[in-house]
Amino acid sequence: MNQQQIRSFTERYLRLQGCHIIESGPAHITTRLSIQADKDLLNRPFYWMYVEKMNIEPQPVTLNLVFDPANQPPGLKGEALFFGAPRFSQILRSAQKHGRFARLYQVPKGKEAFASQSKAYTPWLGVNYKLSYICDQKKDRLLSLGINLISGEITPDFYQQAQSFQWQSKLPAHRHLLPPRLSLNEAVGELEYVVHEQIQNEDLSWAEQAQERCEAELAQLDSFYPDSLSEEAERDKKQRREEIVWQYAPRAELHCINAGLFYAEAQTFS
Amino acid sequence: MKSLPIRMDRTWVDEFQTKVDRDSDWADWERFQLAVEAAEAEIVPTFESIQSLKQIQGFDPLPHQIDVTKRVINEMRGRAILADEVGLGKTIEAGLILKEYIIRGLVKRALILVPSSLVLQWTRELNQKFQIPAVAQKKGWMWDQYDFIVASLDTAKRDPHRSCVLSKHYDIVIVDEAHKLKNRRTKNWQFINELRKKYCLLLTATPVQNEMAELYNLVTLLKPGQLGKQTDFQSDYVAGKRKAKNEAQLREEISRVLIRNRRRDSQLHLTKRKVKTITIELSPEERALYDGITQFVRSKYREGTDLKSMLSLLVLQKEVCSSRDAVFHTLFKLVKKGEEQKEEVSPEVAHLIRLLRNVRSSSKVEQALRLIKELSPEKVILFTEFRATQDMLLRELTQAGIPAVPFRGGFNRNKKDWMMELFQKRAQVMVATEAGGEGINLQFCHHMINFDMPWNPMRVEQRIGRIHRLGQQHDVSIYNFSTLNTIEEHIIWLLQEKIQLFETVIGELETILEKMEDESLEHNLMRIMLETHDEAQIRQHLDRWGDTFHQVRHAVAVENEAKEELLRYEPTTN
Repeated sequence: MNQQQIRSFTERYLRLQGCHIIESGPAHITTRLSIQADKDLLNRPFYWMYVEKMNIEPQPVTLNLVFDPANQPPGLKGEALFFGAPRFSQILRSAQKHGRFARLYQVPKGKEAFASQSKAYTPWLGVNYKLSYICDQKKDRLLSLGINLISGEITPDFYQQAQSFQWQSKLPAHRHLLPPRLSLNEAVGELEYVVHEQIQNEDLSWAEQAQERCEAELAQLDSFYPDSLSEEAERDKKQRREEIVWQYAPRAELHCINAGLFYAEAQTFS
Repeated sequence: MKSLPIRMDRTWVDEFQTKVDRDSDWADWERFQLAVEAAEAEIVPTFESIQSLKQIQGFDPLPHQIDVTKRVINEMRGRAILADEVGLGKTIEAGLILKEYIIRGLVKRALILVPSSLVLQWTRELNQKFQIPAVAQKKGWMWDQYDFIVASLDTAKRDPHRSCVLSKHYDIVIVDEAHKLKNRRTKNWQFINELRKKYCLLLTATPVQNEMAELYNLVTLLKPGQLGKQTDFQSDYVAGKRKAKNEAQLREEISRVLIRNRRRDSQLHLTKRKVKTITIELSPEERALYDGITQFVRSKYREGTDLKSMLSLLVLQKEVCSSRDAVFHTLFKLVKKGEEQKEEVSPEVAHLIRLLRNVRSSSKVEQALRLIKELSPEKVILFTEFRATQDMLLRELTQAGIPAVPFRGGFNRNKKDWMMELFQKRAQVMVATEAGGEGINLQFCHHMINFDMPWNPMRVEQRIGRIHRLGQQHDVSIYNFSTLNTIEEHIIWLLQEKIQLFETVIGELETILEKMEDESLEHNLMRIMLETHDEAQIRQHLDRWGDTFHQVRHAVAVENEAKEELLRYEPTTN
């Protein structure tokens, strides 16, 4: 993220969190945080416990966020916000926390909104996964999948597809929902099966190489220690073996970033 | 590869189900999108790229530091000895590597073990340069409470801390000054060996101090077997204590776990040092005081004083080269001591006090003010050995309307930082009594005055090192104040003409001085001065000392080159 992107992300975050923008200059933003944002960004649980127990007027913090330190107004005591700054990491974490689960309805297009007959919406489960490949190194990718909760049909790039439509939180007029046939657990099971298949069919040479490194190190370890070992050496060797496996063993990890129930007209997703 | 193990996190499904059941607290579409973007920003799509470079601010790592970071992560797989020569930034390298692993989520818990004098400095560097929330370990409960701990090795290895630390798993352990782990039979080595760790960085500028076995022991901490079994290592690679055989093969094995950058190999040429001796003639009054003190010191010495008194005589002799104020301070103490013992002030001391009263102005100060005004607005750091001189200089500078700040060892960390900042932003001059101590980086200044000269070459080198270091953009000017026909003139001759201390960085200065083995140069000088009367004889003694210095320096260099040969890295070109 460059400074421009960091600023626009931060502005959206502050707005969605209901923070009050006091001043917005070319190089900085002064904002009084909402209670929610203060709790997420300031890490002062005792203060909030106190405020809530004593029932006193809460005083959320005012922050001066500087995006361009070279040109900040003279005398302004602010904190530089850049990718890697602890405050920005907190903002990223908070944004993820508040966008974790959604239930959304497709916004009807123009005239269709006034159709006389009620139209049926099909339920989909959409999940955005973070898939991490780990050995002594690590890389990740985003993986978005959706499953039709009636037919069980699975579609890739679900999130990308959803972005070309509009979504709202309330069921629009003249729309009704078809009941799902798959439970949440069953649906997630189907998605995981697909992810599993996908991974095993990928190019796994990185994992093979990591496995080779691991075995080479284990072999070196074996040759280092004589066959008959003192108790102490035995312990050393065992520990070192565990460390090598810990360091190199290739594996994948799948985490959910966020998920939603999406109700949409038939043929919305393919 | 049969199949890759996959861990699927399912804890979210229950949470989601609860939302469905309660039908409340749903995120809207915008928040949902923002969350995805936040996650996307933190994704690292490739194994090899170095992300930490994009996430630091306020400094630019040097090319060799970036190179080390890449090699340690991509080739050495996070277990390495960082063995750059002093001053090339091993801390920065370790910080970049640590940061990279943190960004990728490969390190969530780190232990950094350093000498106790460096705990706070390391903590600050990690906090400020790398935004790593490291804390300095102070209390026992902190081992459990914090994920990134900087602690003293000596503390950590002792109970009750020891058992606490050994009960944990650390994703990375970093040990600074790792030559303290050179001996396998020590508590230090065994402690690090027992620590449960995934990655491990050992930092030392001297991976081989005395014998090859030391290097073997360091490597064994990281990867037992890398250099073979101990017995095989002895027979395969060791020809003598410091002599290797099968060098090419050994060098290759070493280069898989050790990185050493040397000043002269990299493009890290420091800027030049320009040295100027400024001779100063004493006023008749100052001359009288100098001679008076010198005679006093000699007569006391001849009376046969104990070592402690000799040391204070040494101080007095040095002080008289610095300033009247410095002498006054010591004389005053002498008088007070006399009073306590109900003695009259001895006539000789009374005489000295009279001489001292006669001195109204300082030729050195006048010269310093002249020079500083000439250099204005460029910044100047002025070093003196004495507090009294420092105070006097600050007074004089203020009177002359030159903004100046003090700096000394007794200041706490915050005050030191504050003074450095004031010097950079507001003042023209810093008057310092202390040169040692890490974290004093004054690269923005490139003029330095040695108002008086330490008799210890190490201290001189430390002074210069404050401004002549990586990051200095300009040639550095060093002005040595030398009062004619005093001991100072001899010392400057020795340091500058005879051993060329100023123009070049003498590698291994400390080792050379240690190997010269007889008493310290300071005591040596004192004796030479006290026992010889004519100037030519003094010069002769110093000349001989200088010759010995050169011989030892040569011997040290030869021995070092043999060691360096092993640590040389030749990237394979194919």
